[in-house]
Amino acid sequence: MAGTMSSATLPKKTTVQSATAKKSNRALSYVLPVAVLLFFVLGWWLISHFNLFPAYALPTPADVVKSFGEEITSGRLYNDVIASLWRVAVGFILSAGLGIPLGLWLGQHLHARQAFLPMLNFFRFLSPLAWIPFAILWFHIGDKPAIFLIFMATFFPLVIATMSAVSTIPAIYFRVAHDYKYKGAELLTKVTFPAVLPQIITSLRVSYGISWVVIVAAEMVGCQDGLGYGIWEARNGLRLDSAVCYMVVIGVLGMLIDRLLIQFTKLPNVRWGYER
Amino acid sequence: MKLSTKLFIAGTILIIVVLGLLRYKPWSSNGAVNVRDVVHEGPNDKAKRSLTVGFLPVTCHLTCPVTDFASKTTQSNTNFNSRVFTDFPTVVSALEAKQIEATFMIVPLAMKLREEGVPVKICYLGHRDGSEIIVAKKSSARSLKDLKGKTIAIPSLFSNQNFVIHKLMGDYGLKSTDINFVVLPPPDMPTSLASGAIDGYFVGEPFCAKAELDGYGRVLYYARDIWPNFISCALVVHEDLIKEHPEIVQDLVRGIAQSGAWAETHRAEAAKLVAPYYRQDEKVLNYVLTSEPRRVSYVQLTPTDQDFQLIQDMGIKMGLLKKHIPMDELIDRDFIPKEITPAPIDAAKIP
Repeated sequence: MAGTMSSATLPKKTTVQSATAKKSNRALSYVLPVAVLLFFVLGWWLISHFNLFPAYALPTPADVVKSFGEEITSGRLYNDVIASLWRVAVGFILSAGLGIPLGLWLGQHLHARQAFLPMLNFFRFLSPLAWIPFAILWFHIGDKPAIFLIFMATFFPLVIATMSAVSTIPAIYFRVAHDYKYKGAELLTKVTFPAVLPQIITSLRVSYGISWVVIVAAEMVGCQDGLGYGIWEARNGLRLDSAVCYMVVIGVLGMLIDRLLIQFTKLPNVRWGYER
Repeated sequence: MKLSTKLFIAGTILIIVVLGLLRYKPWSSNGAVNVRDVVHEGPNDKAKRSLTVGFLPVTCHLTCPVTDFASKTTQSNTNFNSRVFTDFPTVVSALEAKQIEATFMIVPLAMKLREEGVPVKICYLGHRDGSEIIVAKKSSARSLKDLKGKTIAIPSLFSNQNFVIHKLMGDYGLKSTDINFVVLPPPDMPTSLASGAIDGYFVGEPFCAKAELDGYGRVLYYARDIWPNFISCALVVHEDLIKEHPEIVQDLVRGIAQSGAWAETHRAEAAKLVAPYYRQDEKVLNYVLTSEPRRVSYVQLTPTDQDFQLIQDMGIKMGLLKKHIPMDELIDRDFIPKEITPAPIDAAKIP
């Protein structure tokens, strides 16, 4: 933003220069990560080529590429990606759908906040993986236990983040709202929610990160498919090459979805929250 | 604000709907059936009914995928789908929820389930032998006595391996505290031995063969040398299935008996057949099945009272099982065929 504004007022020559600088900057932003990646793969290849690690402890890049082919042609990888995405989406939307409203309400009610905060904190610090035995007992195997674990992992941080965002809204907002005679639902949708939206989006991104980490662990038990299960199964089959292939998919998908969530920060209603 | 909120909600709903459709495939007749369940689609149209049977990718459960393959390529009345699990707690949960009604399982765990009131019965065995005590190749141990003070890994407290090694310790006059036992997932055992984290392990194949093939482990005892006709796993069936569909159980037990008889004499072919079900390297499986006949066998699969009484007594002695369950409550031998012919599997059809 600042760049375009200043370039409009500057002489032409500088504009051209800054445009090229921008272009080369842009190119660099692609070249540098690719170079790091290539360097990393080369290092991996060298380690396995010179047998610095025994083959059973580190699969070679070629083996991993081969097992990628196998997983894709058998349709397993596609099935596992869909299974994991489905579980994360449902669990995450459930916890956002319940957690954000609860956080908004708690943020506006001091006594309720005082009453519930210790309990919310207690559950927040319980690792979601501690719930695994109960998840399996209550929901048996399949999608439900994994969705439950995602919910337990993201619900409490979201409630607390929303709640503390609400309680830090400057008092002047509410004084103005009072002058406009906003009350109840109107106050919530016209003042409170827009004011905390940037922070909510940030905490959504953070808890999405948690849920993507948790899904892999959750699928290692009580599931019959999914990316985490793929790793577990590969390990049982003494196939580390296939495990690495799943790890690559998990990492790449996680990054892509985060890129998608970043787009929310560019919405006109929340951009102010990131440009202060 | 309004437009973007609406867009946001619409986008979220769209994502959920698309993912849900892709996940549950309402257009496909199989619905949400896991692609992993069906390794071989068979041409057998005669079968009107089907049953999913649970197993773990260990050679003790080999007859399960063989029965799956045989039911689809030969004439049988029931199609069997073998569903691979990765650990026994999940199998137990699936059995309790009746998501599967028949599975292969370690015998002491089945006894424990029966003890806790889960209505399951052992209808047949899946194998004999099939486990070894492995030590490091450079270890000087010649018998269990030499492992005093060492760390040995077992797959579960409720595994017959745990029971059998305690029996052997008794034979050698060792106290139960003389060896340090750790419970490890079987796939971690070979690598733990290689790194020196443990001094040995007692588990089912192919996790023993792995250490031998990779060159850092050797067999100290074959299970049969310690406990003749060793059993670690058996076919466990939910009583509801026995009551409601005895004909399916009949087909299943016959299928396993015939698959066992076939696998016993077609070992290399069996390794090739099960490799895609196990998602394991055929080489390792082939080594287990063909290198040494003492490793595992798939005949004599009728469970005897004596077999199970020995296991139960040991479990009670160790405090892992609480009460004596009458053998007729635990075992159901009604479905075992009188004559067992090898399954007519055409080796040329194995992909």
